[in-house]
Order: sequence, then C-alpha cells, then structure tokens
Amino acid sequence: MVKSRKRAQLSEFWRRYKKNKTAVIGLVILIIIVGTALFADLIVPYARCIEQVGADRLQGPSAAHFFGTDELGRDLFARVVHGSRYSLLIGLVTSLMALVIGAVLGASAGYFGGMVDNIISRIIDVFMCVPPILLSLAVVAALGTNLRNLIIAITVSCVPGNVRLIRSVVLTAAERDYVEAAKSYGTSNPRIIFRYVLPNAMGPIIVNTTMSISDMMLSAAGLSFIGMGIQPPSPEWGALLSNAQTYLFTAPHMLLFPGLCILFSSLAFNLVGDGLTDALDPKLKD
Amino acid sequence: MSQNLLEVNHLKKYFKTGAGMLHAVDDVSFAIPRGKTMGVVGESGCGKSTLGRTLIQLYAPTEGEILFQGKNVASLSRKEFNRIRPKMQMIFQDPYSSLNGRMNVFQLIAEPLIVNKICRDKREVEERVAKMMDTVGLASRLAMAYPHELDGGRRQRIGVARALILEPEFVVCDEPVSALDVSIQAQILNLLMDLQEQMGLTYLFITHDLSVVKHISDEIMVMYLGKCVERAPAEEIFANPLHPYTKALLAAIPIPSVESCHKIRELLQGEVTSPVNPKPGCRFAARCPHAAERCTQGDFPLVETTPGHFVACDIGV
Amino acid sequence: MENEVLRIEDLSILYKTDLETVYAVNGISFSLKEGETMGLVGETGAGKTTTALGILGLLPERTARVTGGKILFEGEDICGLGDRELQRIRGQKISMIFQDPMTALNPVLTVGEQIGEALYLHNQENLSLKEIDAKVEETLELVGIPRERKSEYPYQFSGGMRQRVVIAIALVCNPKLLIADEPTTALDVTIQAQILSMICNLQRRYGTSVIMITHDLGVVAETCDKVGIMYAGEIVEYGTLADIFTGEHHHPYTDGLFGSIPSLTENSRRLHPIEGLMPDPTDLPAGCKFAPRCTKCMEICKNTQPGVYEEKGHQIRCHLMKQKDENRKRDALARRGKSGSGENVQAPEVKR
Repeated sequence: MVKSRKRAQLSEFWRRYKKNKTAVIGLVILIIIVGTALFADLIVPYARCIEQVGADRLQGPSAAHFFGTDELGRDLFARVVHGSRYSLLIGLVTSLMALVIGAVLGASAGYFGGMVDNIISRIIDVFMCVPPILLSLAVVAALGTNLRNLIIAITVSCVPGNVRLIRSVVLTAAERDYVEAAKSYGTSNPRIIFRYVLPNAMGPIIVNTTMSISDMMLSAAGLSFIGMGIQPPSPEWGALLSNAQTYLFTAPHMLLFPGLCILFSSLAFNLVGDGLTDALDPKLKD
Repeated sequence: MSQNLLEVNHLKKYFKTGAGMLHAVDDVSFAIPRGKTMGVVGESGCGKSTLGRTLIQLYAPTEGEILFQGKNVASLSRKEFNRIRPKMQMIFQDPYSSLNGRMNVFQLIAEPLIVNKICRDKREVEERVAKMMDTVGLASRLAMAYPHELDGGRRQRIGVARALILEPEFVVCDEPVSALDVSIQAQILNLLMDLQEQMGLTYLFITHDLSVVKHISDEIMVMYLGKCVERAPAEEIFANPLHPYTKALLAAIPIPSVESCHKIRELLQGEVTSPVNPKPGCRFAARCPHAAERCTQGDFPLVETTPGHFVACDIGV
Repeated sequence: MENEVLRIEDLSILYKTDLETVYAVNGISFSLKEGETMGLVGETGAGKTTTALGILGLLPERTARVTGGKILFEGEDICGLGDRELQRIRGQKISMIFQDPMTALNPVLTVGEQIGEALYLHNQENLSLKEIDAKVEETLELVGIPRERKSEYPYQFSGGMRQRVVIAIALVCNPKLLIADEPTTALDVTIQAQILSMICNLQRRYGTSVIMITHDLGVVAETCDKVGIMYAGEIVEYGTLADIFTGEHHHPYTDGLFGSIPSLTENSRRLHPIEGLMPDPTDLPAGCKFAPRCTKCMEICKNTQPGVYEEKGHQIRCHLMKQKDENRKRDALARRGKSGSGENVQAPEVKR
C-alpha cells in the first residue's frame, strides 16, 4: 500500500512535470549532457584530449576534428566531451553542497531566531564583505590546487548568499499557522524545519540552486584562468574558454563550442529547475 | 479526584515588547468540568488566543498554574509534558493557513500519530486515519487530495480530525468557524457538538461571535485586555449581564430580525486601549459609561454575585 | 415615483481565462432609489463583489466580460463607458468602501491628503486648496476623527479609525451612491456597531443610496431597506426587509441561511445547516442553481431554470412558488407554524 502510494506520487509528479514543455526540453538537453559526461570514454578516448599534433594547430571544424583544434593541435571535440565531466562535477557538487550548508544554517537562523540567528547572520555578513572570487582564491591558496580544493573553494564563496536567501524565505514560512499547529501536536524542531518549513520555501531555493550551477561552472572557469583551478592539460569548459580568449579573432571556434556547452547546460539546469518547482507544488496541479 | 478536567489558577502571560510589558493574559482563573465547554469571548487583542495557546503550552506561562487532571502542566519537564500533550489538542482558526499545503489529507491527519509514535505499524495508522475521516465526515476518496483543492468547510474538518486523532480529552478551539461561511459554519458547529457527545470532549471555545459562543458553551468567560471581566453559565450571562462591557458587547451584536431595523442603540465609545503597561484599576474604565474615580484606583477582583456568576465590577453587585 | 438612482437589468458577468470560464454573475436585476439602502447577502463566491466592481467599472480588464444587461446610473447606461467617462463618475458620484481597512489606505500619504485627493481630482466647484482643506477637516469630524489628525499617517490609526478614514474618502465628494463591500467584517463587534450607525446617520443626512454587501443577516437587518439574497451569481430572493425576514414565502436557500445562524434569542441545541457546497461557478447546474443542496428539490428543478415569481414586489426565483394552489398554501402555512397572518414580526424560526 505504502509502496504503491509512493509510486503513485512519482507518476503523478512525472505527469505534472510533463505538462511543462520547456522543462521537458531542458530535461532532454540535460540528459544528453550528463550522458556525454558519463560515457565520455566511449565517445572519444581520453588520449585524444592531450595528444598534441603540431601540424594541426588552430584548425577550424572538419571531419577529422569536429570542433577543430586548439593552439597546441589538440582535438577540441575530445576536450569538450571530457571537459563536461569536470564542469558538471564542479557545478553540481558545489551547488548541492552550498545548498545543504545554506539550508541548515539559513533554516536554523530563520526558524530559531534570537541568538542563533544573530550569530549566523553576523558571520555571514563578514563573509559577504569579501568578494566571492577573492574568498575562493584565499581558500585555494591556503589548501593547494586540486579538484577537491577547487570544489571547497567555490562552495565557500557560494554559501553566504544561500544562507541569506534561505533564512529570508524560512522566516516567512515559519510564521505560518501550520507550524504552530505542528508544535501543538508535539512535532520536533528538525521535523518542522524539514517537513513544514523548507518544503514551503522550496520554490525560490530550487530556482536559486539551478541558477547557481552555471555560476559555479563560470567561477571554476575563472579560477582555472588564473591558474588556481583545474590544472592543464586537464580539459574543463571554463579553462577552454579562457584559453580561447587569446585566439578570439584567429580561431573563434575555440570560444564558440565550450561557450555553447556552458550556455546549453546552464539553460537546461534552469529549465529543469523551473519545471521541478512547478511539479513539486501541489497548488499548481493540473 | 476533582471533577474538573482543567483548572487554571492566576495564569499570567506577559510578552516583552519594545514599548514595555504586554499583558496578554493577566491573572485569569477558571475551571472546566469534564465534558463541558467553556466559551471565551472578547474583541481582538483581549488575550483570548494567547490564553488558549498558553494552556496547551505553545507559550510558557509567566506565572500561575494550569492543572490538567490535577497535574500542573506548566511545571512539567519537556519529556513529561510530551506524554500529556496528546490529551490536549487545538483546532486552529484559519483552515487555509493552518494546514501544510505540501501534505495531502491522509498525511495531514496521520502526522500527529506518526510524530507521537502512537501506532505500531503503517496499517494501524491507515486504519485510524480512515476511521477518523469517517467520523468528521470526510469521504475516503479525499485521502489523496491536497488542502488547496478543498473548500473551507472540508479543510476545517481536516483540522478537526487532526486535533482529535490523538484522542484528546481537552481541545482548545480557537475561532474554528470564524473564517467560514454561515451555512458551512453551522455544519462544523454541529460536528463539534456531536463529537463532544461521542468522545466526551472538554472544549475551551474561543470566539468573538457571541451567538456562536452562546450556542455551544456551558459557561462563558468575557475577557477584556487580558482580564476576565465576567464569568457565568451561558444562559445566565445573556439573561443577566452585569459588567458594563458585557452589556455593551451584547448590545453591539446585530440581530437578524426586523425589530432591529434602524434601531438606535447605546453605543460603546472609543476603542480598545493598549495592553502594554496597563494602568492600575479596571481596564475597561476608559470606555466605561459608568466609570468613576474608584475604577482607576484599585483592581477589581472577580466577585461571585449569584452561584456561578462572577463579575469584576461593583456596579452590578 | 421617487428618484431612481441605480437600476440594474439582467446583468451578467463572467471571467474567462484560457483554462476555464467562471460564471460570476448571471442575470441579476434590481433598482435603488435615492436614500435607500439595499443589502446584497450571500456567501463567498455568490458574485456580490463582482456585481459591485461591475457597477464601478473596475472589473479586471483582461479576464472579465460583461456579457449582457444594463447598469443604469441616473438613467444613463454606464456599462460600456470608457475609462475617462467612468473616472468622472467614480469617486464623485459612486464610491466604494472596501472590506479591509488595513490595506485600502496608502501608507505613505497622510490621511488628509488621501481624503483630499478625490476632491482635488473632481474639482467641479473650483475649490481653492484652502477650501479643499476645510472640506477635508469637515469630513473628518463627520466620521468622528478630530481634525488635528489629518496630518497623521494610516499606521497611526487603529482598525476602526482606519475604516472611518476609508469612509471619509468615500463620502468627501457627497456621492449619490455608496457601495460598501463588507465594511465591518474585519472589525470587532463594538467597533462594527459604531461604524454601521455612522454610515446610517451620514446616509440619512445626505440622502445617499447605499449598496451594503455583507454575509451577516444581522447587519442587513440593522441597516437595509431592501434585500437581495444572492446565490451562485443569481438573486434568488429580493424584497423589502420585512419580506425577507418575516414574509410568508421564501426561497429554500433563504430558509437555509436563517437556519444556519445560531440564535441569541432561542435555545436550540442543533443548527440546521444547508448540506453540501456552493456549485462550481465554472460548471453550474442546468436547472435551479440551488437544486443540488435543496431539501425541497423536485424533478423540474434539476432541468429547468426557475423563473422569477413576484408578489407585491417580493421576488422569489423558485419553482415552488409556481404551484400556488390551495394545497401549497396550506402546506406553507403548516410549515411556517403560527405565521400566515402576515403580522408576525419575528425572525423565521429555526425549524426542528
């Protein structure tokens, strides 16, 4: 009975999600991108990413090199395909981590108020004073450059904004009568936060998170550009992009393809986020 | 053991505000016998909702005792109170905002059972929810519906079911019908009275609507700015109101009959003053047509004039 | 004949969106003379407010359509008028009091400025600013607010006082017609009594016609001359106050409404609510709109729209009224107990 109810809810959710055509398009793009990342090795071997062919430098797209080649003669298609792994990983992991940390801190601040709120909010204020990129730089500089530290660095820069946003939506959601009702039959505070407050504050949080995925990819690109991110020769979309700047006029394809990838993936995440928000809200049923 | 299910002695609830102490409930005492209904009437800001919430410990009282089945719930530890809490439940005013829109009817009604870990397994939860839905008159096909799909009356039935599923003995009804249309209001009032009979419930019924309170209550308490100004059996208070405020309140109700057409009434002047740092003396003195110097000097204690009829004013005595 | 201020003939209004069509008002007619008060009574979704907004031409443009009927204000059909012409009427000749005094005022303007606004905009008598100021002060005192408070902001007023300000704004131009949409629902009883008696006094003083929209039959009894009971966008019963409260015949819905109110004067342990719910306004029943909830529903009610049956101005939209033979009359007499002489002046009693 319970299982079938869960299944019923899932199919109900899918039925509602399907209604939003743009969200379905977003989902299709997302599946393609994720599929590319998962099966990158089957599509094109990693070796091609780093194989430098001096004769084929800065070539435009052709049958041999779908996306052309870069300044060292590496196949751009292979680099973009394999780059999706890094970019997606950084975007998703940082956004999710920032979401979880932001939700715990923001919800505590907004729900408990008083001293808890004061302490969390003041700390966040201090972090907000430092430009995010500087914050990331400081973390990377302190921890050293590798993928894990890059993810930590970008997460740290994203948390303060999340805490602020979640605190403010939780503040309004926690004032509702149903929270008082939940207290009246003895619901514990964590359960109230996770079952009553956060679900009702989800709309802006989901939108913010999906938007931040593309932001995260771009900050990773920024850090890579100044040599504090993914280390060459590893391909990463942001790194490819910053690399291409030098050849903006001689080889625009170097900019075009990674750029399109970032554009499409952030578009897809945003569309899916919108669809999720609507499909998860029972009020917008039908 | 006394026959009173609930006894409240000198209950006070103050809130700290920027301007000073807000005396929301100020020295209120009463008792409700098992199976009876105590009606609490008053205008907005008189502290009636705070009183109800303090009784079920949504707010901690500033002072005073709340004896439930002879035990002072105000002095219990959190753990001890958790055992008593299922016996004291509350029905909320607004059936739109008091239900979590992310949960369906089944989840809403089952939630108190799950939170208090009352049932042994999922099947028992389902059985009890189904039975309760039947009791409050919700069709079982609505179990999967979400509150926003339902009208106010059905939503309030969910609120009633949620409060009663723990099989409480004492229920605080905080304006349960104020947000409903008259025809639906009557349905819910009937339901509440039927359930009281079936389950032997004891109600504290908070409302601003005097005709509703008269209809459902055995005893009525009139509150003004945190103080109880008059308390008497329902019939008595309508037949023989003693406090000037009670009289004014009764006079102000528009009565649906032709006689009241364009009638000239003695109207109460002015508005409710602030409950923050109240002056000593009768709280109603500022609006009272009979106010005299002595009214602003000392507090007026509740005096029993006839058996069961208490009033905090010396005019009617 | 006395001056007729407003006459509504067969007015129908619907809201149309991509998904559905809401039939909010379905062919209502009534008229209002100078100085009269008409009560529009009904539950949520009966179409009371839509009617009011329709008269003022304030219906949401994108979705609402007036699909039929006329709104004659002082003999002129104001239904199809343009915005500019409506603005001439709105606020000056017809004004409205909204339900919630907390949100109806602009928090950043002083109450004096808000009251003066309408005068300034409709300045027909070419008043100077000083004269407007004087008039504002006069109006404030009229609604029971000391004139010194005109330079205060809405947040400095309590709920009852704000409603007085809203009323002052509505009355400052001496309108012919005042539409009060649940003016006291958000207020406490003692304040409600103050506000109602004030509206009545001012009305008597200026001969304003009032449409009092409310769900409270008590308010109606205290203030109105005529009453229209609305249900699902129709006026199901219409008559003088006496017709509605003590008349011999009633629409079953009216009976149900009275049965739902707990009485202060009688003791009955059980109420007699109307079972069921308002019909979905996007999918109204084919016959009588009340048929699905009516205890006296007949076969004919389910398929055929009832017409209006009138007796000395008391209109009832119900099939029951058609069968006026002796049998029915005797039945009705028996049903209403000791009434029938027409002199019974008690509220219809709650039937057991």
